[in-house]
Amino acid sequence: MAVPAARRTTAARRWHLSEHKIAALVLVTPALLIIVGLRIVPLVLGAQYSLTGDGDRNGLFVGLANYRTLLDDPVFRTALRNVGLLFLALPVAVAVPGLLATFLFLKVPGHRFYRSVYFFPVVLSPVIIGAIFNILLSFDGPLNQLLGKAGIAPVDWLGNSHIAILSVIGVHVWATFGMALVIFMAGFSTLDQSLLDAARCDGATLPQTVWHVVIPELSRTIQFVFVTTMIGMLTGMFGLVYVMTAGGPGGATYLPEFYIWVTQGQMNSPALASAASMVLFVLMLLVGLAQIRLIKRATKEV
Amino acid sequence: MRRSGFGRWVVAIPMCLLALATIYPMVFTLNVAMKSRREYVLDRFSLADHLTAANIADAWNSSGLGRYTFNSVLVTAGSVALLLLLGSMAGYAFSQLTFRGRRWLFLVCLGALMIPFQVIMVPFFRVLGQIHLLDTHVGLILAYTGQFLPFTIFLMTSFYSRIPAEIVEAARVDGSTTLGVYRRIMLPLGRPALLSVGILNALFCWNDVLISLLVMQSEQHRTLMVGVTALRGQYSDNIPLFAGGVLVAALPVIAIYLFFQRQITDGVTAGSTKG
Repeated sequence: MAVPAARRTTAARRWHLSEHKIAALVLVTPALLIIVGLRIVPLVLGAQYSLTGDGDRNGLFVGLANYRTLLDDPVFRTALRNVGLLFLALPVAVAVPGLLATFLFLKVPGHRFYRSVYFFPVVLSPVIIGAIFNILLSFDGPLNQLLGKAGIAPVDWLGNSHIAILSVIGVHVWATFGMALVIFMAGFSTLDQSLLDAARCDGATLPQTVWHVVIPELSRTIQFVFVTTMIGMLTGMFGLVYVMTAGGPGGATYLPEFYIWVTQGQMNSPALASAASMVLFVLMLLVGLAQIRLIKRATKEV
Repeated sequence: MRRSGFGRWVVAIPMCLLALATIYPMVFTLNVAMKSRREYVLDRFSLADHLTAANIADAWNSSGLGRYTFNSVLVTAGSVALLLLLGSMAGYAFSQLTFRGRRWLFLVCLGALMIPFQVIMVPFFRVLGQIHLLDTHVGLILAYTGQFLPFTIFLMTSFYSRIPAEIVEAARVDGSTTLGVYRRIMLPLGRPALLSVGILNALFCWNDVLISLLVMQSEQHRTLMVGVTALRGQYSDNIPLFAGGVLVAALPVIAIYLFFQRQITDGVTAGSTKG
């Protein structure tokens, strides 16, 4: 090699720099194209559609008319009221797995077994879960037969408009509490054991330890579980509703996501469905404000 | 913090009951699937007379489950392959390379995490129709890739950011190009993360019903989960047969859970304890 050493390194560096940039472009572009094209552009388009009309007024600007129609639609109002019920169920859906994780962390015998069992329904499709509970909760099904043996009148779990939504939410919580549980357990594994030892040396009782050591130390995990559980409730229940009640009886088990699907497809009112999508998105954003903070923290590490 | 004797059992008993409540619906369904229609009508809870896969086989043969399974396998495999390829490429770039706008672009990817499919469903449907991909396997694969790519990038980036810079430097000194480092170092070293993310994505795609309902409109293109929702009407008067169909659809997931439980729980908790 006759090339002088100095020249070689500069040339190499110059080549390296541009090669590096081209490589970064090649690596990132396909993913970004998909994310921008299939998620961000549709989001913007959706916001735009929500301000246009359906049917004869297809594509025409109608201002906020769709949003007004939504608020006047009793079915959509039921969907929003059901979201309120989800918010009410949220503390339970977080506290139960939190409590269970605490027990498991304190090494109840066989904690690994419990963890596997509790998490199992999480991996099953809502369709499978819904189908199983369709059998269990049907009016002439096994649960009512069991109640009958105990002398209790049968309950129309999926056919009574007041009870059906509670059944669906209950099944969702049953099917997903394992998710919150493993997140809590991952949080516990980062807990400083010496703090717990110190609490024990000071003679703290279990509730005192939980209140003064575990909850403050795990505040981020708890926040994360609140956000993911609520997002799961807002966006993960379509399959259950679709299989268990199909929105019925009389629209009593509608949730925003189900409303969007029906309005888009069966009702063929994509603009109205887009307006409902935007309402759901705002709900998500409100819940996600906490998540944005989590994301910011994550990006700092990169 | 080991509690002893009495106190331990006070918590162990409810936990045991809850474990039973978690697993029992599945056991019940399995039992029902073994029964004849007559047996089920007479007594919902009695144990099946004998172990038989007759209902499972009947459900498989008398409905389109075979075709639906083929569709699900095809779409899931295609989506996972694409997700792992694009996710690991972007994850490598975001974690190991410096380029202008890196942080900002990463934020775009993460921001997309907060857009659920329900929110973009209507325009997505229209766009897919305009590019003639509605009711095609490719269209559904693209839909799943768009849906789960942000999550995949997030996990791959956080995994790759733990690979020490010295390893990458060493390969560079040996004359590897940036893309060579991806092929020779990032892909092999990323195997545990790719396995975990891959299994999670496979579950997401396999279990989905909303996106599949929207994209796949003809009966012959149905995925398995949509097929199961149709079984309900088909077998409404024959619960054991219905249970057999449900079991067929659940079996692959149960098998994956038994083998890869650790990878699944590692994956879902990966984003929770950071920072």
